[in-house]
Amino acid sequence: MKKLLILLFSIFSVSVYAQYNTLWIPDTLSGTNFNLTIKDTLKQMIPGQQTVTEAINGNWWGPTLIFNKGANIHMNVTNKLQDTTTIHWHGMHLPAIMDGGPHQKIPPSTTWMPYWQVSNNAGLYWYHPHLHMETEYQMNMGMGGLIIILDPTESALPLPRTYGIDDIPLALSDRRFNSLNQIQDVPYGDSMMVNGTLRPQTNVPAQVVRFRILDAGPERSYNIGFSDNRTFYVITSDGGLLDAPVAVTRYLLSTGERIEILANFTGQSGQNVTLKAYNSTLTQQMPGGDVFPVGTLFYNGLARIDFNILRLNITAQTSSPITTIPTALTTNNFISEGSSQLTRNLTISDTNIAGIPGVAFVINHRLFNYDYYNYSVLLSNTEIWRISSTSNFSHPFHIHDVEFNILTRNGVAPPSYEKGWKDVVLVKNGETVRFIAKFDDFSDSLHPFMYHCHIALHEDDGMMGQFIVKSPTVGISSLSQQLPEFSLYPNPASDKLNVSFPNSTESSNVYYIRIFDAAGRTIYMLPKPQIQNGLDISGLAAGVYFLQLTDERTKLVNTVRFVKQK
Amino acid sequence: MMIMKISLSRFFTFTFVLSSIILSMMMQGFMDDPLTERQVNDFQLLNIDNKKVSLSNYPNAKGFIIVFTCNHCPFAKLYPQRLNDLNEKYSAYGIPLIAISSADTLKMEDDSFAEMQKKAKDENFNFPYLLDADQSTAKNFNAQRTPHVFVIWKENDKWVVKYNGAIDDNAAKPELVTVNYISVAVDNLLEGNEVVNKETKSIGCKILFR
Repeated sequence: MKKLLILLFSIFSVSVYAQYNTLWIPDTLSGTNFNLTIKDTLKQMIPGQQTVTEAINGNWWGPTLIFNKGANIHMNVTNKLQDTTTIHWHGMHLPAIMDGGPHQKIPPSTTWMPYWQVSNNAGLYWYHPHLHMETEYQMNMGMGGLIIILDPTESALPLPRTYGIDDIPLALSDRRFNSLNQIQDVPYGDSMMVNGTLRPQTNVPAQVVRFRILDAGPERSYNIGFSDNRTFYVITSDGGLLDAPVAVTRYLLSTGERIEILANFTGQSGQNVTLKAYNSTLTQQMPGGDVFPVGTLFYNGLARIDFNILRLNITAQTSSPITTIPTALTTNNFISEGSSQLTRNLTISDTNIAGIPGVAFVINHRLFNYDYYNYSVLLSNTEIWRISSTSNFSHPFHIHDVEFNILTRNGVAPPSYEKGWKDVVLVKNGETVRFIAKFDDFSDSLHPFMYHCHIALHEDDGMMGQFIVKSPTVGISSLSQQLPEFSLYPNPASDKLNVSFPNSTESSNVYYIRIFDAAGRTIYMLPKPQIQNGLDISGLAAGVYFLQLTDERTKLVNTVRFVKQK
Repeated sequence: MMIMKISLSRFFTFTFVLSSIILSMMMQGFMDDPLTERQVNDFQLLNIDNKKVSLSNYPNAKGFIIVFTCNHCPFAKLYPQRLNDLNEKYSAYGIPLIAISSADTLKMEDDSFAEMQKKAKDENFNFPYLLDADQSTAKNFNAQRTPHVFVIWKENDKWVVKYNGAIDDNAAKPELVTVNYISVAVDNLLEGNEVVNKETKSIGCKILFR
């Protein structure tokens, strides 16, 4: 009887798990003001018990944000988790204080309001939590989202761009579920998912289709190809268009990296093909290729096998299809090696750290320390970063603030699909990678930018450093050490609260405003707030509040009480 | 737990597979710390009617269904009707249900005492809903998530945990529940038997301890 039950159960399981699920395409949000609410939620991911998740606006992941290059965008990020978090705008060139790294902690019940002018090229970017030591957990629970930037150069090209139809976003990830269908906080899953959909399939029209692909981590690299080994065309690297499409049959994508590819399904209506990860070729030194025994915490259920990413059912053409692959895309002006002012030598190693058993993956032989700035970069510097690895494992290295051009891998120029703007580069075991970047526009003596391994567990464990971009024009000695003086009016206030300074020139020098309630809860975090027209406090409940203001030049802080009335 | 996670995950960076096996065993040992058949203490907590409630207020109770829950957690929000039903059914047998919120009310305004009172009224709770303001009761029970249920039983004038974990196996779709863990446990106890399934994992939002 027991055997029969087991048999019946296995037949049942097979029949359930042989089915494909329709690929979920995240909703889009466009415009210049974006409201993102992070919350505890739940999702039916597997038949039976629902899975507890942490997501943005919906119950998995978050909306795809559409930005226009040049636009000034404003974010209202509200944390409704009972946990602190951060949201990092991966790949964006913006002030450090808006960047959402580990220093921009958003406490529960707080709204963080960064804003910036979009200067990145058209392409695929993303946003994700970056709370030190909790990044893997919060990513695993479902937090994150895609960003698509549009610009005139890209818009002028004959490329597919009907979102969800011939322009399909694919966030690749994997999870392990326990017997109660709950997500395990482990670096490797045994269940591949795309956009949170397990065993996904989608329809694609019989024409050129664009896939915008992100390796959303937490650790695995994907050796992407099609089941019929067809040629596909890489048109972007992390930071937008390549000069021309690059024809390949495989592409190794690592955590944090993005590519957009074109595949031509013209004349193939009625057929199907599967986008796959040919990960049987990955080695023990490659994220996703390392084998650990079954039953261990780091068991890698998808190691050294080829597995499906997404089944594609080819359907009828749309009304105005793209049917040819363009031969040229844009003309990138890369940074010339000769323009570099200095070379920084970084190491990646497996190192013994005092007090920690075994060896740790570290950068420059030290663990991340919140209060230690590893580098100070002069504003407008052009620098070569030479990253030399003695590690026995490969690590996707990511830097905030800038996009870079890879100069060499082990002294050799990179392949053509890496000759573009990048913000993540896989530094293979024993490899030396040199890249060049220009640190323009945003200096800040207090808030650093991060660089780190993008494998979430590695950065959580301290494989991360930080740098300040400093302006050469600011002297320290001349600064007064006087606390910022200001008053608030009207007080009590109902909708709008104005900040006034006895010395009117200080009004443009606000570095930060935080508003607390009487219990000490942070309600609003306003980096470099635009206060000329007052602060909107209409969303506050009636009561006593405190406005804490940090001066831009001195970074000194003062606090003034105000009353919000109905 | 965070320290545990760091030092354990650090093991992952070992080149040797052996280390990860040891690690995994340690982690498993830590995670599966058996909570059943453990004695818990009585408590005195403020109910939404502003009166204090203790287990000792129920001299005739054979046992209790203690539910750690909260207002804001979407998983907990799915269960009020089922909690009312459980309390109605098992109070008659001398096993009343008591709900306790141990949420950090400073961090989560939705979990304030006033909001608890409002929720209990809106959802017609037929059971006490107590505020564990200093979280000492959740710590004593080792409650992890909301909802996390403990079926406790009186043995030699002590309270002993006989079941802990989830309420049932389908939060969002009550009609698809195949096992009601609490009913099974309480029925086992009422029949004078051992609880068959003494522990499941509680599913829901983490209780964050200050």
